[in-house]
Amino acid sequence: MSSWIDGVMVVLILTNLALLGTSRITVCIRIIALQGVVLGTLPMLAGEEVTLRLALLTTATVLLKGVVFPWLLLRAMRKAEIQREVEPYVGYILSVMVGLLSLGGSVWLAQGLPLPGPMAGTLALPVALFMIFVGLFTICSRRKAISQILGYIVVENGMYAFGAVILDEVPTLVELGVLLDVFVAVFVMGVAIYHIRREFDHMDVDQLDTLKG
Amino acid sequence: MNEMAIFWLLLLLPTACAGLCLLLRSPQAIMRVVGAGALCQGAVGAAAALKVLRGGQAILSSNGWFNLDALSAFHLLVMMIVFSLSSLFAWGYFHEEMSEGQLRLRLARRFGALWFGSMAAMTLVLISNNLGILWVGIEATTLLTAFLICIHRTAASLEAMWKYLIICSVGVAFAFMGTLLVAASTAGVLPSDEALLWTRLVASAGQLNPMMLKAGFLFLLVGYGTKAGLAPMHTWLPDAHSQAPAPVSAMFSGFLLNSSLYCILRYLPIMEGGAGMAGWGPRLLLLFGLVSILVAAVFIYFQRDVKRLLAYSTVEHIGIMAVGVGLGGAGAAAAMFHMLNHSIAKSLTFFGAGRVGQHYETHEIGKIQGMLRSCPAWGAGLFAGVLALIGAAPFAIFMSEFQVLKAAAGSHSWWTLGLFLGGAGMVFMGALRHLIAMAWGDPSITRVQRTGWLEGAIVVVPCLALLALGIWMPQGLQDAVRQAAAVIAGGKP
Amino acid sequence: MNSLIHPLLALLLAPLLLGIINRTKALFAGRTGQPLLQAYFDLAKLLRKGAVYSETTTWVFRAGPIVGVAAPVVAIALIPFGGIPALLNFPGDLILFAYLFGLMRFMTVAAALDTGSAFEGMGASREVQFSALAEPALLLGLAALARLTGDLSLSGILGSLTPQDWAHAAPALALVTAGLLVVYLAENSRIPVDDPNTHLELTMIHEVMVLDHGGPDFGLILYGASLKLWALGAILTGVVLPFHDERLWPGIVIALGGMFGLAVFVGVVESSMARLRLLRVPQLLVAAMVLSALALVLLMR
Repeated sequence: MSSWIDGVMVVLILTNLALLGTSRITVCIRIIALQGVVLGTLPMLAGEEVTLRLALLTTATVLLKGVVFPWLLLRAMRKAEIQREVEPYVGYILSVMVGLLSLGGSVWLAQGLPLPGPMAGTLALPVALFMIFVGLFTICSRRKAISQILGYIVVENGMYAFGAVILDEVPTLVELGVLLDVFVAVFVMGVAIYHIRREFDHMDVDQLDTLKG
Repeated sequence: MNEMAIFWLLLLLPTACAGLCLLLRSPQAIMRVVGAGALCQGAVGAAAALKVLRGGQAILSSNGWFNLDALSAFHLLVMMIVFSLSSLFAWGYFHEEMSEGQLRLRLARRFGALWFGSMAAMTLVLISNNLGILWVGIEATTLLTAFLICIHRTAASLEAMWKYLIICSVGVAFAFMGTLLVAASTAGVLPSDEALLWTRLVASAGQLNPMMLKAGFLFLLVGYGTKAGLAPMHTWLPDAHSQAPAPVSAMFSGFLLNSSLYCILRYLPIMEGGAGMAGWGPRLLLLFGLVSILVAAVFIYFQRDVKRLLAYSTVEHIGIMAVGVGLGGAGAAAAMFHMLNHSIAKSLTFFGAGRVGQHYETHEIGKIQGMLRSCPAWGAGLFAGVLALIGAAPFAIFMSEFQVLKAAAGSHSWWTLGLFLGGAGMVFMGALRHLIAMAWGDPSITRVQRTGWLEGAIVVVPCLALLALGIWMPQGLQDAVRQAAAVIAGGKP
Repeated sequence: MNSLIHPLLALLLAPLLLGIINRTKALFAGRTGQPLLQAYFDLAKLLRKGAVYSETTTWVFRAGPIVGVAAPVVAIALIPFGGIPALLNFPGDLILFAYLFGLMRFMTVAAALDTGSAFEGMGASREVQFSALAEPALLLGLAALARLTGDLSLSGILGSLTPQDWAHAAPALALVTAGLLVVYLAENSRIPVDDPNTHLELTMIHEVMVLDHGGPDFGLILYGASLKLWALGAILTGVVLPFHDERLWPGIVIALGGMFGLAVFVGVVESSMARLRLLRVPQLLVAAMVLSALALVLLMR
């Protein structure tokens, strides 16, 4: 089982690095969708056997992260007439390099933090830390507001990956609550982007700078 | 009353009010529901809180999901005070805009629904015994309050809303990671469906994996600390507070931040109980608290906008609470008392700043002069409120800050004492400088603001309360504060 | 004595790889294509011809093709094949392996610059730029393999790799394979990095550097290139098909099958993909580097 989990983790790492190196927003959104689908399989792989609860959770996650989020984001792009370029402050290749360095850092950090329990040897913790970093880096290093939503989703996905592997029996209500919150967050951000676009005629975060001091 | 009924009533009442606000057909009616609903909710919440605080016995629901102990009851009480005051004030604040037709029905509906919705979410945070649900509640407050900031849609308010949304969502996501790490620390100790129940975690804190707990607490402190406005994660706070309508700012400062700090406090007894970590968590909190006080002091001194000034003052006061809790013992009790005082005073000042700002049509300190003459009621309220906030003597905040100082001296933390005094002194000078400039001088507007009896009461009652608490602290309140502090110390789970 | 089998096979069969690739491409395009042995005919023809040297060139120009054959021959001597240990092996020989190609490249580039032609200078600059990105990918991939097997020589690495490694370190090995595959295509100037058949100087990389070589010199270059194709391919085959046998021939047959399969695969890639724009090539190579580095990180845990 755990080698399958590590396989999924490697795919997650690759999607993140691809996200850092991609110059088209629509492609970024598709990468995030792929990430969501891969993520959805994790609870199934981590669980001992396939229960109704796991099946429900997997379906909900795949639908939400693989279908609904991309749809919301693409809709926001269309409605707000966002240009397709990512417009980074940090170049693509350099971003990938930073991502690679942070991966090394995450692995190093996670080694000082051995997980108790059966999932001790898996990549869960380093990948979670890595995805948090990549998400934050995406938020900071990209000019468009929509990239910040993508960054937020990556951060959230990283934690979800960790949670799916570590906690096999969290009450379903809590997990659904978390999923609902994340869904609303992405929805609200999408709406906010639309309003920002209408008010400012642009989507560049670096121009949101009237409030300071 | 059945214990489950209390919890469901606390949650469903605001939800029902939110639904009602969406159905009503006039802004006036919605504002009336906001006032009346908040009072009802206040009464229920206060009754539940008092029951716990009087009886000294926590109410734990039979399935273990809800828990109302002294700490949450005390927070609930403070929240009900802030909410009732803010809701009543909202009626007066939006009155002019409603009569001028600026506040459309759609916006009023949105305000009402989100207002009650965030109230329900915060109640959920306070009564939840499941740390996962706790997180869900905090994240929900972020999302529900985001659009409250830009009820008046301007470029600046949208900017503030976006910053609030992104910074707090990502920050609170960190807290989720922390929650997961804490849950991971229970591997082999607790059955996994109980891994997130606070009562179980506190009871078995000694056996949890200390490394996981430490890592988790770091994430939690940064995550919830972002929402609580601890420096250096406070950057969203002045923007959001300065752009939101005054009742929303009051609710943010008076309670939203407390509820996030409350989440950190919930984890302290687990940290303290963990093997070989006594004092580690509180010391970290203390550090963040001191940084917040000093950062806020600098920004207050050079501030030009009155609402931003109040926002930074909130950063300072959250810092003071963190310092108090970080000192532990008498400091924690002082911090709880301070929270009550700060919430009352900060609501009052935001009300005042909002109404004075409406009258002058600006929030710039340089353009507001002679407010005592042109806005007699709210000018005086703002004046008294800021005096209370900076720790002028007869008011209650002076007392609670003094108690925190005493706790610092008692534990021989001279550095803490010195930095706290330095920061508070700088805030005192800086804010007083701005306050005097605003209070006196020739008003640029000859028109005098008129206020009704309700608004008069909203000014007078908090002022009197602050004065009274500064001079005499009733026995019941002392007990409540002590009990809440005992929960933080892990004495009474 | 067995160790001599692989170098001999390589020296004999390397040009055949070019034939297989071309045949595969022809098949995909619906043509009959060249005979499989076309590369041998070409070599024979070129070696019979005389060479013309420009007056501006020096000995560097003539040394280029010779080093271009010598370097891969030494490299091949370092590689085990189908379970037979390599002719030469010592700890750390994988660095020598990587930099033999560095030497070969340096001499080719120097020879190209020696002509003073603008086109060849341009090709040289591209070659150096891209190989600067491909080299870390190759080294990181080899480092990951060294880490996995705990050995520092190519013989040790490929000799101790077993099918069980694929079972328990599948993600890392898959990443190394992907990374090495990109390096393989890039180093051998194949599509999607470079098109060996192009005749537009502006877009060429490797081919443009050798425009001024003729006769035996060009023959040597062609032969050197096919040896390089063999050498890197042998590493890839060794990683993907780590079957060892007590007996001699099954291992060799499997390894040869792998080599020819790889050539067919290259043909398929060349038929189904277009060459990348020059601007995108560095991205592909960085991706290869990322894959190798990721494998190393996974194995370092």
